[in-house]
Amino acid sequence: MNINRPCGTFDRNYFQAKELYRTPLRKTLLALFIIAMYVIPFVVGEYGISILTPICAFTIGMLGLQIITGYAGQISIGHAAFMGIGMYTVAILQKYFGFSFWLALPFSGLVAMAVGIIFGIPALRMKGLYLAFATLAAHFVIVYVISNWRSVTNGTDGMYMSRPGVLFGIDFTDDRNYYFLALTVTAIMTYLATNLARTKLGRALVAVRDNDIAAELMGINVGTTKVLAFGIGCFFAGVSGAIGGAYYEYVNVEWFGLDDSIWYLGFLVVGGFGSIFGAIAGAVVWKVMDELSTLVTPLTEALLGGAAFYASAAFSLLFYSLIIITFLVFEPRGISHRWEMIKRSYRLHPFPY
Amino acid sequence: MEEIIKSIVLGICSGGIYALIAVSYVVIYKSTRVFPFSQAAVLIIGAYIMWYCTIAWHIPIWLGFVITCAGGAILGMFVERAFMRPLVGQPILAPIVVTLSLMLFLRGVGILMGKGDVQGFGESFLPVGAWQFGFLHLPKIQIYAFLLCAVIIAALILFYQKTRTGLGMRVVHEDHVVAQNLGINVKRIFQYSWIISCIIASIAGMLLGNIQGVGLALDANGIVAIAAVLFGGLESFSGAIVAGLTIGILQMLTIAYIAPLLPGETTMMVPFVFLLLVLFIKPYGLFGLVRIERL
Repeated sequence: MNINRPCGTFDRNYFQAKELYRTPLRKTLLALFIIAMYVIPFVVGEYGISILTPICAFTIGMLGLQIITGYAGQISIGHAAFMGIGMYTVAILQKYFGFSFWLALPFSGLVAMAVGIIFGIPALRMKGLYLAFATLAAHFVIVYVISNWRSVTNGTDGMYMSRPGVLFGIDFTDDRNYYFLALTVTAIMTYLATNLARTKLGRALVAVRDNDIAAELMGINVGTTKVLAFGIGCFFAGVSGAIGGAYYEYVNVEWFGLDDSIWYLGFLVVGGFGSIFGAIAGAVVWKVMDELSTLVTPLTEALLGGAAFYASAAFSLLFYSLIIITFLVFEPRGISHRWEMIKRSYRLHPFPY
Repeated sequence: MEEIIKSIVLGICSGGIYALIAVSYVVIYKSTRVFPFSQAAVLIIGAYIMWYCTIAWHIPIWLGFVITCAGGAILGMFVERAFMRPLVGQPILAPIVVTLSLMLFLRGVGILMGKGDVQGFGESFLPVGAWQFGFLHLPKIQIYAFLLCAVIIAALILFYQKTRTGLGMRVVHEDHVVAQNLGINVKRIFQYSWIISCIIASIAGMLLGNIQGVGLALDANGIVAIAAVLFGGLESFSGAIVAGLTIGILQMLTIAYIAPLLPGETTMMVPFVFLLLVLFIKPYGLFGLVRIERL
C-alpha cells in the first residue's frame, strides 16, 4: 500500500515486496515504539495507566470504524452502540453462563459482528447517506433494547463484569497487568487491520470506496463487500467494548449515547481517513481531550460560580465539536495527512519535492 | 374504533410539526445535497430565543416571533458561511460529520442558554383549552400549531413555485453545474437554503417548546423527523408532508397500542424501526429521486 518510499529502497525479491516495514530504520523505530509502550506504565504510574488503557480500547474501536468508514467509505453513526454490544455480551456471558473473560472476548466480537451484519444489510441496496440513516436507526434500536430488556441487561442500572483472573502467573486484576493485556490485544488488532488493507478483501473495500460502479465492473460483489466491512468493523468495536468494559469492571448503557457515536466519527476525521495511523491518532486525541476537558471543569466552575453543573456538560460538547469542525474546515484530511507531509519533507529535506 | 380515530386525528395534529421539521431538512438537502443533522438542535435554539423574548424580557409575542425568525436566519447564514462553504466539493463524509458535530455544538449552546433546566412558557402564546367533538378531545394549541405549520409550508411551496429565487433553487436542485452555467449564483442559493431552513426549524422549535416545554429534549423531535424525511424521500416537499403526518399518526398509534405492551420510550423507538423497514423495502422513500449514476 505504501507508495511513497524512501529514496534508494528497491524490492529485490518478493519477500521484500510483501513486507509491512521495509527499511531497517522503520523496523527499529517500530520495535522501539512497541517496547516504549510496554515500558511506559512503569514510568507514568496509576494516573497514566488510567488514561492509557481506555486509549487502547478506543484505538481498537477506531480501527473498526476506520475499516467501515475509512476503507469501505460507508458512514456509521452507530459505532458506540456496537461497542456497547461487545461490553454487554461479556457481561451477560459472565453472569448467566459463567464464561471466563478469555472465552467471552471472541464472543463479544462475534455477537457485535452478527448484529452489525444485520443492520448492514441495507447496504446491499444503497450507499452513502442512506446507510448513515440505517446505522442511526441501529443505534436507537440497540440502545432501546439494552435499556429496556431489564430481565437480561439490568436496564439503565448497568451490569458488573469481571476482569480475567490469573493466567500463566500473571494477575490481570492488577491495573498495570491489565494494561499489558489491553496493549497486546490492541497490537494484534492493529496488525490484523494493517494486513487487511493488503488482502484481496481490503483492496476490494478501497475500490468500493473510490467508485462503487467501477468496482462492480471489475468483478467485485459490492453489496457483500460492504456488508463484510460492516461485520469486520463491528467485530473490532465489540472487542474494543469487551476490553474497555472489563477495565472498569462495569458497563452502563449511558456510556454509548448518540454523541459518543458522533465523537467516534468526528475524531476519526481528526485522525485522518484511510490509514491505521489516523485511527490511532484519532483515538489518542479523543482520550487526551477527554482528560483535558475533565481537568478544565474546575476552571469553568470557578469562572461561572456555583451554577456550573450544566457548564461542564456544555463545555465538553462545545469543546469537542469545535475541534472537529475546525479540523474539517482547515485540514479535512486529518493528522495522518500532516504526518505524511512532515515525513516527506524530512526525507526530501533540502528539496521541496 | 374510537381509539383509532382519536389516534389518527391527534397524530395528524402533532404530525404537522414533524412535517415542518422534515421540510426544513428537505430545503437544505434539495439544494446542497448535504443532510443537515444540525437542524434537530436548531429547534432547541429557536425555542430558547422565543422563551427569552417572551418570558425573560417581556417582549410582545409578535415581536418575539420576529426576533426568533431573525435569530434563526442569522444562525443559518453564519453556519453556511463559516462551516459549510469551505466543504463544498469535499467527499460526502466531511459535511455529514460537520453537521453532526454542529448538532452537538448547538446542543451545548442550548445547555448554556437554558442553564441546564427545562423551562416552560408560563402562559402559552397560542390559545389554550380544547374543543370537544363527540368523543374527540382536541387541544386548541395543537390545532393552531398545525394550522401555522400548514400556512408556512404552503408559503414555502409558493415561494419555490412563483418567485425567481425559488426557480433558481429548483434549478440548483437539478444540477449544480448547469445552474452555474445559467448564471445562477449557486453559493447564494446555498445560503438562502440554510437561512430558510433555519427559520423554519426555529419556528418549529418555538411551537414545540410551547407544547412540550423548552428544553434539550426537543431535539428528539428533530431526530424522529429524520425518519419522516427518509420515508417521504429526501428531495420532496409533498413526501415530507405525507411522511410527517404518517410519523405523527404512527406515534399516536404507538402510544395507544404498543406502549402498554413494551417498556420504555417506545415513541422514540418505533419511528426508527419504521425507518429501518423503509430502508429495507423502499430505500429512496415514497417520492424520493433515484439518481442513476454512470461512470
